[in-house]
Amino acid sequence: MSTETGLEPRYTRTRHRTARGIAARSLLYAVLIAIAVVYIFPFLIDLATSFKSEADAAGDPLSLIPQTWTTAAYQRLFLSSDFPVWFKNSVIVTLLVTAGRVFLDSLAGYALARLQFRGRNTLFALLVGVMAVPGVVLLIPKFLVINQLGIYDSYAGMIVPLLTDAAGIFIMKNFFESIPASVEEQARIDGAGPFRVFWSVVLPMARPAVITIVILSFQGSWNELAHFIVSSQSPGLTTLTKGVAQLASGQLSQGTQYPLKLAAAAIMTIPVAIVFFVFQKRILNASDGAVKE
Amino acid sequence: MTTYSRQPRRGGLRRGEAASGWLFTAPMIILLGLFLVIPVLMALWVSFSDWGGRGSPFSGSVNFVGFKNYSTLLSGGGLAEQDFGTALKNNAWYVVLVVPLQTALALFLAVMVNRQILRGRGFFRTAFYFPSVTSSVAITVLWLFLFNSTGAVNKALSYLGVVGPNWFNDPAGIFHFGATSGPAFLEKSTALGVPLWDWIGGPSVAMFALILLAVFTTSGTFMLLFVAALQNLGGDIQEAAMMDGATGWQRFWRVTLPQLRPTLFTVLTLGLIGCWQVFDQIYTGTQGGPAKTTMTPAYLSYTSSFVNQSWGQGAAIAFILFVIIVFFTLFQRWVLRERAVSKRRMRQYTVATTAATSTPVAPAMAAGAAADTGEENER
Amino acid sequence: MQRRTRWFTAGALAIAGALALTACGSGFSGNSSGGSTSNGLTKSSKPLTVLIGSSGDAETKAVDSAVADWSSSSGTKATVTVASNLAQQLSQGFSSGKPADVFYLSTDQLAGFASNGSLLAYGDKLANKSDFYPSLVQSFTYNGKFYCAPKDFSTLGLIINTDMWKAAGLTDADIPTTWAQLETVAKKLTTPKHVGLAIGGEYARIGAFMTQAGGNLMNATSTKATADTPENVAGLTEVKKLLNAGTLKYAKDVGAGWGGEAFGKGLAAMTIEGNWITGAMSTDFPSVKYQIAELPAGPAGKGTLQFTNCWGIAADSPNQTAALKLVEKLTSASDQLAFSKAFGPMPSIKSAAAEWKTANPMLVPFLNGADYAKGVPTAKGSADVVTDFNSKLESLATSDPKTILAAEQTNLEALVK
Repeated sequence: MSTETGLEPRYTRTRHRTARGIAARSLLYAVLIAIAVVYIFPFLIDLATSFKSEADAAGDPLSLIPQTWTTAAYQRLFLSSDFPVWFKNSVIVTLLVTAGRVFLDSLAGYALARLQFRGRNTLFALLVGVMAVPGVVLLIPKFLVINQLGIYDSYAGMIVPLLTDAAGIFIMKNFFESIPASVEEQARIDGAGPFRVFWSVVLPMARPAVITIVILSFQGSWNELAHFIVSSQSPGLTTLTKGVAQLASGQLSQGTQYPLKLAAAAIMTIPVAIVFFVFQKRILNASDGAVKE
Repeated sequence: MTTYSRQPRRGGLRRGEAASGWLFTAPMIILLGLFLVIPVLMALWVSFSDWGGRGSPFSGSVNFVGFKNYSTLLSGGGLAEQDFGTALKNNAWYVVLVVPLQTALALFLAVMVNRQILRGRGFFRTAFYFPSVTSSVAITVLWLFLFNSTGAVNKALSYLGVVGPNWFNDPAGIFHFGATSGPAFLEKSTALGVPLWDWIGGPSVAMFALILLAVFTTSGTFMLLFVAALQNLGGDIQEAAMMDGATGWQRFWRVTLPQLRPTLFTVLTLGLIGCWQVFDQIYTGTQGGPAKTTMTPAYLSYTSSFVNQSWGQGAAIAFILFVIIVFFTLFQRWVLRERAVSKRRMRQYTVATTAATSTPVAPAMAAGAAADTGEENER
Repeated sequence: MQRRTRWFTAGALAIAGALALTACGSGFSGNSSGGSTSNGLTKSSKPLTVLIGSSGDAETKAVDSAVADWSSSSGTKATVTVASNLAQQLSQGFSSGKPADVFYLSTDQLAGFASNGSLLAYGDKLANKSDFYPSLVQSFTYNGKFYCAPKDFSTLGLIINTDMWKAAGLTDADIPTTWAQLETVAKKLTTPKHVGLAIGGEYARIGAFMTQAGGNLMNATSTKATADTPENVAGLTEVKKLLNAGTLKYAKDVGAGWGGEAFGKGLAAMTIEGNWITGAMSTDFPSVKYQIAELPAGPAGKGTLQFTNCWGIAADSPNQTAALKLVEKLTSASDQLAFSKAFGPMPSIKSAAAEWKTANPMLVPFLNGADYAKGVPTAKGSADVVTDFNSKLESLATSDPKTILAAEQTNLEALVK
């Protein structure tokens, strides 16, 4: 307790003008910069190593400048491996899943928020219950059902199950509830049916929520691994995550081949990185706008 | 949320809403039914059957075997029990280390980047959050390189005069501190087929590398949750505390942290749920090795079914894992229930953030709110 | 109360849905589709898929071209797929009713897949049945039925880097024929830059020492567990001794994925590998000079392990007739010799032995090993036990061989009970 009183005067003054204040701020920056380096450096190493020769990668793993620049890893990936196929599959699946989720999530979210029908509360309770089922538990069950439905080893089997997105519906429902009901009333009076009201009046207003779903779905389906393992087997249907995971576990090739693997890892990071930087403001400062004081 | 249905029917304008309501939600109902409800029921049947992986699990040649698959895992005395025990042990240590570490780091980073005096906040947030958006496969590949015996991490350690371990190939438990065998009573007595000496040994060095990976990739997401919460805190209590002459440290512990409690619980719950499901990193990186010390129940469930044809056992592992996760979620909710005030605040805050809509934070928020509303619906 | 009924309704709906799904059951084909011919094999015009687990580009190319040849001469289309995880892909294929028609199948998987009816037991229908080595046929016989044609086989040998050998002042006379000599040369070959001997830390390599001491995990027919014998303890103790002397290291511990990589990269002067190493050496490390010797003898004389795969045919394949023809072609002397040239395995048929020896004078030690080689366990579930054994061998340097083997004895006994 004595320390408390002892320190009191310092805090009643404007503290960052004191020498200790400056020292404290420098320390803050030093600590943050050190942590930032730890967080960023691995990605720089990833990029640098992908342009190194194998010997260079093993010999000097820390250096960010390859002794001799080589694009051998990238050439091998794009010219003599299935990598382009994996990339294509990831793009197809991600785009379709994202589009599907945006549509289905907002449709269901709207119904749950705005339309009155018997059983709505039960549905919502079910939805919440379903959100609690951990994904990994579904690994074997999903395989069984996909199989039973006859869509195993097809795009349908890879895409359709990923459209289930209880969290997304939840987000959309919350958003629609925040839109004043008066907006729709007018359209209704003008004789628009529920789908018209949803499609041309409410959905355009939901842009921020839709963008959230886009970001989440894109990231989620681009980075998904387990589902693709159990839903397909043909090499023609391999996605980036599955392909690179198998490359990494050494099953496709012999030896370590770090430049090759790291080049693959770097390329698969690019699309999510682009989405991240495009929507960076929204992702990182999301809550800034929400502060109501 | 229940208020809508209690409103009197208005007819006229609202006619046909029931039909469109069901129509609008039909795709979702069908999808969730097909890919969540039915799969779980099918797998539940498989976990009680002797299905060998060929033909339909419902065909006449498949028999009901009761709890056999479960008892083999929990008290069979064989390799299956041992493997399951090892997987549980590994994952338990993973949870015990990852959850506090990632929460503490995320909170620390959030408090730091939330300081008004800090310049370049955007840069720091980007840097700390970026690992969270990249795929676990890519990060694991990177980790394999960084932590190989002559990799970047060991090179960096060597500058500090430390000889790094052969990370991903070192099965030694980190709390064994190099001891290769323990006291006889710990070696002899076993739980789930695993000697107590191994249970207390902590994660292996290899698992520890994966623990670092998890902290690296998840701290950013949780940092954003904390940042969002911090920005929603009223400044007045802070100011009052400052007037009272509390130091920064004291204000953090006595004022800020108690206000962050709802977020803290959300983060802990999400962390617990996520940590019991480690799969990608194991599939990509270690396949359970070295010496099975990175085997997790999720991965074991997968290999039992897809590689070893023991589908019943694989499904049983999945359900035991399910029970474990549900247990921890309920436990968290029980703790939440103790603080009625915090809960209300959390709800307000959830609505505020989701309304402003945002981010990967959203599912987390949604999950937090889900726990909340779920409770409400039960009453 | 009302809520309760609703929940029940929802549950009932879900169950009804599950039942409806079973009824349609389109995904699971219990019986093989396609018409049957007189010899009990299915026949159709469907193209064949061939699933292989490849050791590298050399093997992939060789199988590719052999299958393409057959395809153009027979008129049946066939595509070769390299599995990234053979066991998983086979299993997933069988469960989904969409397996590959023809595939590599290892000895330890035979029992599991044969017992659940995934495999076609076609061995007796092979035109060249009598040409296969009997010990290999034995490896692919389950419940008295000869299931599949041995594709080829390999044994383990000692691979020596000749430059390092000379640099250490060693000559051909020093090639070790006993454990003691192995210890000596391994010590001489260990320098700060490389270790004397690097091997994969697994049963499939270390097991050779057990056979040299006169033991093995199971008896020849895999009907009896023999893990905890003094012979096996002696074998492991020898490996432990080398590990602790620092003259033997596991490939992982020198930063390599397997023995061949450690050897090729010059991280080790010797390794213990099978015929497949020749393919990797010529593709990945063409400049490394090496020679092959038989493994040194232990207290019970010479010993090595023998590995073999077969060409499995799926019970669900719609075109088994064509698959059988393809397998007959792939196991013919000319094809096997071509494979051997590409990636080093030894032909599984007696009629190709002489030609193989003349064509591969350098590899003769491998074929000599066939005289005394022992197989790996094939009992159902033995693969799991071997995996468990492997995980324990990783820490062999610091653990007690007797304890490890006692645990495996229990595990193996559980399989044959």
